[in-house]
Amino acid sequence: MNSHETPAAAPLLDRRGFLSWASQGLGAAAMTSLLLRDGLVRAAGVKAEASDPAPHFGAKAKRVIHLCMCGGMSHLDSFDHKPVLMRHHGKPMPGTEKPETFFGKVGLLRQSDWDFKQRGQSGLWVSELFPHIAQQADELTVIRSMVADSANHTPATFQENTGFRLNGFPVMGSWLSYGMGSETDELPAYVVLPDPRGLPAGGTINWSNGFLPARHQGVALRPKGPAIDDLVPAKKIDADTERDSRALLESLNRQHLEQRGLNDALTARMRSYELAAKMQLAVPQVTDVAGETLATQALYGLDSANTVDFGRSCLLARRLLERGVRFVQLFSGGSFGSPRINWDGHEDMKANHGQEAARVDRPVAGLLQDLCRRGMLDDTLVLFTTEFGRTPFTQSAADQLGAGRDHNMYGFSVWMAGAGLKHGMAHGATDDVGWKSVDKPVYWHDFHATVLHLLGIDHERLTVYHNGIQRRLTNVHGHVLKEVLA
Amino acid sequence: MPKQLGLSLCLALLVSATARAEPDFDKSIAPLLVRHCLDCHSGPKPKGKLDLTGRKATFAGGKNGPAVVAGKPEGSPLWQRVEADEMPPRKPLTAAEKKLLKDWIVAGARWGTDPIDPFRLTTDKRAGYDWWSLQPVTRPTLPAVKDRAWPRNAIDHFVLAALEANGLQPSPAAERRVLIRRLSFDLLGLPPAPKDVEAFVKDAHPRAYEKLVDRLLESPHYGERWARHWLDVVRFGESNGFERDLPRPDAWPYRDWVIKSLDDDMPYDEFVRLQLAGDVLRPHDSSALKATGFLVAGAHDTVFPASDKMRAAMRQDELEDVVATVGQTFLGLTVNCARCHDHKFDPITQKDYYRLASALAGVQHGERNLKPEDGNKELAKLQEHVRALEKAIAAIDEPVKQAILAERRKNDSKPVTAKPLAEWDFRADLKDRIGELHGTRFGEAKMDKTGLVLDGKTGFVSTEPIKKDLREKTLEAWVQLAGLNQRGGGVMGLETPDGVVFDSIVFGEQEPKRWMAGSNFFKRTQSFGAPDENKADNEVVHIAISYAADGTITAYRNGVLHGKPYKSSGVATFKAGEGRVIFGVRHEPAGGNRMLAGTIVRARLYDRALGAEEVAASAGVRSDIVAEADVVARLSAEIRARRERLAVDRQQAAGALAKLHALSPTKVYAVVPQQPEVTQLLIRGNVGEPSEVVAPGGIPSLAGIDGDFHLKPDAPEGERRKRLAEWITDGKNPLFRRVMVNRLWHHHFGAGLVETTNDFGFSGGRPSHPQLLDWLAADLTENKGSLKALHRTIVLSATYRQASLPREAALAKDAGNRLLWRRSPQRLEAESVRDTMLAVAGRLDPTVGGQGYQDFKSHFFRGTQFYDPIEQIGPAFHRRTIYRMWARGGRSPFLDTFDCPDPSTTTPRRAVTTTPLQALTLMNNAFVLHMAEQFALRLKKDAGDDVDAQIDRAFALAYGRPPSKAEAAQVRPFVARHGLSALGRVLFNSNEFIYVD
Repeated sequence: MNSHETPAAAPLLDRRGFLSWASQGLGAAAMTSLLLRDGLVRAAGVKAEASDPAPHFGAKAKRVIHLCMCGGMSHLDSFDHKPVLMRHHGKPMPGTEKPETFFGKVGLLRQSDWDFKQRGQSGLWVSELFPHIAQQADELTVIRSMVADSANHTPATFQENTGFRLNGFPVMGSWLSYGMGSETDELPAYVVLPDPRGLPAGGTINWSNGFLPARHQGVALRPKGPAIDDLVPAKKIDADTERDSRALLESLNRQHLEQRGLNDALTARMRSYELAAKMQLAVPQVTDVAGETLATQALYGLDSANTVDFGRSCLLARRLLERGVRFVQLFSGGSFGSPRINWDGHEDMKANHGQEAARVDRPVAGLLQDLCRRGMLDDTLVLFTTEFGRTPFTQSAADQLGAGRDHNMYGFSVWMAGAGLKHGMAHGATDDVGWKSVDKPVYWHDFHATVLHLLGIDHERLTVYHNGIQRRLTNVHGHVLKEVLA
Repeated sequence: MPKQLGLSLCLALLVSATARAEPDFDKSIAPLLVRHCLDCHSGPKPKGKLDLTGRKATFAGGKNGPAVVAGKPEGSPLWQRVEADEMPPRKPLTAAEKKLLKDWIVAGARWGTDPIDPFRLTTDKRAGYDWWSLQPVTRPTLPAVKDRAWPRNAIDHFVLAALEANGLQPSPAAERRVLIRRLSFDLLGLPPAPKDVEAFVKDAHPRAYEKLVDRLLESPHYGERWARHWLDVVRFGESNGFERDLPRPDAWPYRDWVIKSLDDDMPYDEFVRLQLAGDVLRPHDSSALKATGFLVAGAHDTVFPASDKMRAAMRQDELEDVVATVGQTFLGLTVNCARCHDHKFDPITQKDYYRLASALAGVQHGERNLKPEDGNKELAKLQEHVRALEKAIAAIDEPVKQAILAERRKNDSKPVTAKPLAEWDFRADLKDRIGELHGTRFGEAKMDKTGLVLDGKTGFVSTEPIKKDLREKTLEAWVQLAGLNQRGGGVMGLETPDGVVFDSIVFGEQEPKRWMAGSNFFKRTQSFGAPDENKADNEVVHIAISYAADGTITAYRNGVLHGKPYKSSGVATFKAGEGRVIFGVRHEPAGGNRMLAGTIVRARLYDRALGAEEVAASAGVRSDIVAEADVVARLSAEIRARRERLAVDRQQAAGALAKLHALSPTKVYAVVPQQPEVTQLLIRGNVGEPSEVVAPGGIPSLAGIDGDFHLKPDAPEGERRKRLAEWITDGKNPLFRRVMVNRLWHHHFGAGLVETTNDFGFSGGRPSHPQLLDWLAADLTENKGSLKALHRTIVLSATYRQASLPREAALAKDAGNRLLWRRSPQRLEAESVRDTMLAVAGRLDPTVGGQGYQDFKSHFFRGTQFYDPIEQIGPAFHRRTIYRMWARGGRSPFLDTFDCPDPSTTTPRRAVTTTPLQALTLMNNAFVLHMAEQFALRLKKDAGDDVDAQIDRAFALAYGRPPSKAEAAQVRPFVARHGLSALGRVLFNSNEFIYVD
């Protein structure tokens, strides 16, 4: 565990302590208050805030899991098979153009360190880097012609998530919370599950609401203790006191309201205390994966030290979506530096990508299988993305064949799976060596427009006024990729 | 004459007049084309490929051939489509307009100004030069009102006139208890003290309200409250954002400058001039330097790619952010929307954008030293005290030290000089004087009698590979820099053949003006915490860095220890035949900020970590370092005890001095200007497509003021910002004051007269009371830019003093209260929620200014600075929330639930949301519970053991009123059973605590 998550995330109560507190303490009080008011405990939806809320037309998907591979996952070693690159292994880059790269070192061409095979009925090429995901190839819609506008990690990651390269713009999850609301009022609409090894570079900036109201910001769940901030009192408060406090608060608020009359804001605040009580019950329930069968836990890789981190996040993601959360975002990879804990394989692709893929391969494959057998893949969208790909040549002196690859913003692969997509297909292509996208280049705006489309949103209609412009996730660009739609 | 008849008569006259004469193109036809045609038929991709902005293009026509055939309307597709009402689509021209067009073609279709200026007139899709906010401010006369008794000042005339015109009545004045609470939160962001409430309620003086207003405006907490609003707009953050998000420990002096300037009621134009160009306008004034923190308040990426093009694109992105903030903050114009193309909605061309960008192109981030503040007597006294103590200690130490040094000299007459592995003297050649590590020059690396002269762009030297494994080592060089503002050049280093692993002596990369041990991905790099370099541009300095086997890295400057050594992640191994020495580049490949500009005179490489004495000897200075322990060991017991007492005193005095320094800073994160290259317009904003050169300038479409700065494209950096500041604050600038008075209005009423406070363009809101806006803007000029006078006028108005209770009839007509028939209730902002809890708990630390507090634990981990929230328990957290350090990656979950904005983006208007997370925070957060306990202690202290008195006091503090009988009856048994802190928790959560009437 990393130092930055020890003291801050230290549990205020252990889990058993929390459950006992919840059942006797506030839990009981909340329950009483709810039973009196609603007759029974039931989650309700949260309305969208957008003035032109979704759906704008028939939605194929209702919810999203976004798997973010941080650091730049190599398309050449995973989903973009390049026979020509194998033939040119150890030779210089063809052509006269000197490639522009982040670190400026253009070595010799290097073939994939993993064998590629055609998979499933679709015959989609997937490398041995992801042997388990490969078995789900028929579920995947791979986009092999992605293009980014920056080869610098953080601006590129911002673009992957917000459409813009600068700080301060809302991320996709915030946009969906704003535009679609939520199917539950017991849990946040947008939940983030960071890599337990550390937050991505930039930390919480990566799930910012930008200029949308703060309530659309991603809520990061902690791996230990109460999963969200202030879910339980920081000091022990007994059940009696809690119950009487709530009653007194309600009474003071009612008298205050009676003197003022006709005030939606005051009524909404009173209602928010009931919602808070619901959340106090719902969060511990959803984060407790002990009730899942051993077979399910094994499917996600909870039985192996290497896969338990990401496996738990994937399983948690499914549980959150089942309960109505709109958007769950998982990060594979923390910040930069050495030794590497993300996909930034500058020095040694084989060691780096080998290590990172082994952590996510089984869990992601398990997630796809589990969603499929539960019928959830019919109305859930799974996104598997990275901020950019890697260069076909190694990051080394011009006459050297190195072991690592530099950043490549000109061509890379991402995939989607689930609702409304043509499955087992690849869209677009990079050139023969996988350096630049040449066939049907896809920009992040196109990707985002397509995601919104699948959710029943016209990307030109999901807007918020901010400083002189109706801002969109897709800026003033974006074309829906009709060819990947079912 | 009936009105309608007159109008049709006029039209008839117009039509008959034009029937005879040829229509004037500029007066009649161009406006028609602008209003009805050019929204589609202009720009790089005109509809139907028909561009109607110029003569040539119009006659050449589009997809359907020439649009106009002179003299032949029937043969002109333009006329055919217009006559058939096909164009403009859905909005056909009137008969009169059609006739104008036809007559023009018949008469020969003579063109006037070519091309037509599409910004000339406002259309239903975009604003032109005639847009309301671009017109000069004129002071309107007061409108007549029916209810003459109601208005208290000019504001009320405008408001009441609009209410009466809409059949609405103002609300009665709020009662005094409400007014003092409202004023106190509005002006100070804090609740009124109960005694002040009671005094005001009972004050029989006819000007009791005015006296209260004046007292509040003079409070130092006024500046704290209103500075927060300003910091929201200028997106003030105290870390860099992006990947590394390094903290800016010296950004807060800008925040303090804003607070103080507002408290001092600095004229608004001066307030703005200094933020844009304080360093140029008052070069010797530290406070003016602090003001320029504005220019660099935004995010800043410190991860630089090797590719020049990629770096240039990054810089353009950063400049866009600065131009956006300048345009929106001072002008209410979204100039940044014109970076890639002309503004879609406002009369701002792409060229205008680059002119403004050119004015700001020299803005760079960095730290600047401040002169110690004059007249700080306490500081001077303490400094003197510390000096005296140090002198007394030195008097004891010095004889002993000399004795030790004398012994050393006796034992070892020659200074220890270590034997290098390689040595170069670039005044002669590139040869290794000892072994075979001879150098080769690359790029523009020149040799002259001063040494190896490097241009900072392409020049560097690389040696033969080293023939043995190298782990521990010392790098040593004598170097003079070409300038102290360079960021990241390497003097001397060791690297693997691919440049992937390296250890280098690097200047100014992570920390401006400082030396560091550069390494791949900063793997072995930490701050030495040494002072800024301030001489190396004028003289040759000696720099050495030693790398010990246990990872310890030590720096020396001119032979003495430089900052503090640190233990790095480990020592790098450079294998035999692989490691090479490089000079003038941080690591290969050459290019970017890795290149050093300066002269390297000599250098040495050692295969071990030299000790301090050896480095001193090599640098030509005899080490006079004697460890304190060695001195103390030789002292007698009596003198040792005396020295110990002096040392304790010194430590205490130094601690007090550090505290004072925290109040009067020595550095500020501010603009470090650099003379920029000339600015070129970039086609589609693309750095790969530079076009015409532009000179620094303003936006020409502002009426009544010259947008031309009369500067050349290569004008000096300082001149550019000076002219920009003059232009923005010009008395005739129509936007400057309108925008600011509207901001004040927004914060007093919860909504601006123009609701979009950062946007007075076409996409923004229209003013609800345009004349009132102008009256206030003119009044600000008349009061010489005094913002306090403006506040006073606003809060003294009857409009402001209205009660907030809703009235059904008025709600039905104007639910949003745009016409101001009442004062809308306001929810406390996040900072006020926290500050108010502190205040009523009796724990608020009222200190104004100085270094802030951190409610997170911060650490650097794998190239990123992380900020993890910690519990806020203890006096360190009792200051007002504006003093929180606002790291971009260190947001506060507590404050965020109450809509605190992301400091990466400008937030002229905060959202007001109500969420369950907010309820959880107020019910459960450690700080809230702690404050409830402190509140309970205070109640006992203030009111003794009597429960009724305690309850009275609780209500007075929290709500500014006594409890009702019903409330008291409810609260009494509650307190008896659960205690006072439980009551505090309930009150903090209540609507009355959070909402102000």
